[in-house]
Amino acid sequence: MSRWLHAVPETDPGHRAAHTDALLLAALAPLAVESAFTHVDRTTVVSRLALTALVTGEAPTTVLGGRVVEAAGPPPDGRCIRFPGQDSLTGVHTAEAIVTGSAIDEVVGVGTAVSPDDLVDTQGFLRPTLTNGRLVLLVEPAAGGVLRPIESRDPHECCGGH
Amino acid sequence: MSHDHDHHHEPVEGSWRDGEDDRPLSVARRRFLAGLGIAVAGTAAPAGTAAAHEPDAPRRPVNPWGSRDRWYGGDHHIHTKYSPDGQYEVAQQVAKAREHGLDWVVITDHGGVAHQKFSVDLVAPDIEKARAEHRGTLVYQGLEWNIPGAEHATVFLPPGRSAVDILRAFEAAYDGGVLSAPVDRSGKGLIARATSADGEPYALAALRYLEAQVLSGRTEIALMFANHPARRGVDSPHEIRGWRDAAPGVAVGMEGAPGHQAAGLKSGRAGARGFYEASPNQDSFPGYAPTAAENPYRTYGGFDWMTAKVGGLWDSLLAEGRPWWVTATSDSHQNHLDTHTPGTGDHNSTGTRGAPVDTGKPQVYGDYWPGVYSSTLVGAGSRSYVDVMRGLRAGKVLAVHGRLVDGVDVRVRSDLDGRGVTTGGRTFVTRGRDVEVTIEVRLARRPNFGGEIPRLAKVDLIGGPVTGPVADRDTLSAPHTEVLKTFEVARTARGAIRFTHTFRNVENAFYLRLRGSDGNRLTSDGGPVMDVVGDADPWTDLWFYANPIFIDVV
Repeated sequence: MSRWLHAVPETDPGHRAAHTDALLLAALAPLAVESAFTHVDRTTVVSRLALTALVTGEAPTTVLGGRVVEAAGPPPDGRCIRFPGQDSLTGVHTAEAIVTGSAIDEVVGVGTAVSPDDLVDTQGFLRPTLTNGRLVLLVEPAAGGVLRPIESRDPHECCGGH
Repeated sequence: MSHDHDHHHEPVEGSWRDGEDDRPLSVARRRFLAGLGIAVAGTAAPAGTAAAHEPDAPRRPVNPWGSRDRWYGGDHHIHTKYSPDGQYEVAQQVAKAREHGLDWVVITDHGGVAHQKFSVDLVAPDIEKARAEHRGTLVYQGLEWNIPGAEHATVFLPPGRSAVDILRAFEAAYDGGVLSAPVDRSGKGLIARATSADGEPYALAALRYLEAQVLSGRTEIALMFANHPARRGVDSPHEIRGWRDAAPGVAVGMEGAPGHQAAGLKSGRAGARGFYEASPNQDSFPGYAPTAAENPYRTYGGFDWMTAKVGGLWDSLLAEGRPWWVTATSDSHQNHLDTHTPGTGDHNSTGTRGAPVDTGKPQVYGDYWPGVYSSTLVGAGSRSYVDVMRGLRAGKVLAVHGRLVDGVDVRVRSDLDGRGVTTGGRTFVTRGRDVEVTIEVRLARRPNFGGEIPRLAKVDLIGGPVTGPVADRDTLSAPHTEVLKTFEVARTARGAIRFTHTFRNVENAFYLRLRGSDGNRLTSDGGPVMDVVGDADPWTDLWFYANPIFIDVV
């Protein structure tokens, strides 16, 4: 039986997107993870990245040093780092294929309309966000007339990301 | 209206007063003018006028017209081998800046433990030498400060006996890198991350420290400009307001356009223009979250979203009557198609990467040499260190890409101020009387470094009411600010062109600013287009932005 778990890791997972996600998912590795979300916990002066996941299996007591508690569901503005269908979306797909083949509910363009036939170059890295209960993938125009997700795997970091 | 000749003299047409006229421009203009209380003459005095000055304070125009100022081009954001991600000698950067027509440059290597310990002292003699070798080019020593709790910023001083001491002490006490580095790595271990919110009070203390150095006479002037402010979303609106309020003589503006303008070239790095390719992290301000309408983490026509959006964050500051200026810089670390690669020194333990290596082969990088693409033009009385800084502090500043214009002189006059004021200034008008704006644009005469003489296609006059301080310090929009008028530039125009515009029956305080474009990439409402990651040729999308003028009503 699956249930939602929540933890605020003590270890700072850093800023590099793909690295952060991989670190968090690795920490859940012994469990079967159906969905996983991050969101920013702003209850303290120093904000922290929190993890909420729908898992099956024996829950650990901590994740990256953060105590694990039960949760009712995903955070309302969560950023999704694991979702059903994610593994099949590694290349260039139509917007329609993304919606029909995964848990993503909608592909939305920033400042541009998206038709079902429009191609999205996923670059193997998707982080849709939960918006009003729907999983939305924001995309933007990219080189070569395709669309790309607005989140990149490894954005340029000035000065080592200071 | 005619746009066929170079000299325009166009008072506001009567049409905007006509309630039946529903052409979109007229509707927009009516709405704005109604907001100012100037659309309908003879109505009751509007409630809550928001003159930015106390009613009984002596009134003196700020930045009066007709001084002997000239425009001096410069760049306040340049790295060298003393940055862990830079590579050039100070001498190379200064020589290239000079070759590309700049009059002043600021050397701004990244703050941090190694920089504070070694680089700040290593760079000083290199800067002295560059000054001696290039008399006529002003070379300032500065710092790219990690603002605690926020982004980076340029901090700089004019040469002086205490300049290096002030910079060294400032960095030791207030750099976000130094404050966040653990004690066992020679840091202070006082804040969680350079950008985490527990750093915010240190940023305010830092700016007060700099202002105190000015007030005590230890330095004649000191300035801070926030760099690439929207890049990671970590400069929240309340932080920007806080900096300005903490040290109004020091914290005076931000990069309207970031550097790294070559980074989006399809034939080059094929990244995002300005390296603006991030998305929110845990220290980002939640109000900057990307939506279907906009992505604050991208550039628009090469400019930062805070500046490029009409009615956006910059306008929200100006609508308070708050002076805050925009600039354009190179952020030169590694310059596109240059043949150098970094030296082999260990910056961490020595504060320098050592002399760069000339491979003889052009490298694919994201930046331009200082002066190649971005210029900050400053109106100053003379080519002197303090005068150029005074011009920056006064907001006599134009941010220009690709030498789109050689200069823009704006003059705003009223019944009470026949001489008028210029960019960055403040004047006043009797309630119900007129304000006349004269804009003289000096068009580019020579090819830019992209190889073409750029052609200015239009100038937008942007403005909005000044409504006083906001209650919510995180306000990031000015809903009544809009493009008031667009002046088209004739294809045949050469030399200097002149536009005028008259605001009739002014009832409330307002501000004005200008932007201009080569017209190549425009949204349907004439604004800049969001730059495409991996395919943004900066030479075919040129803009300039001029800083505001405030008009009070008495």
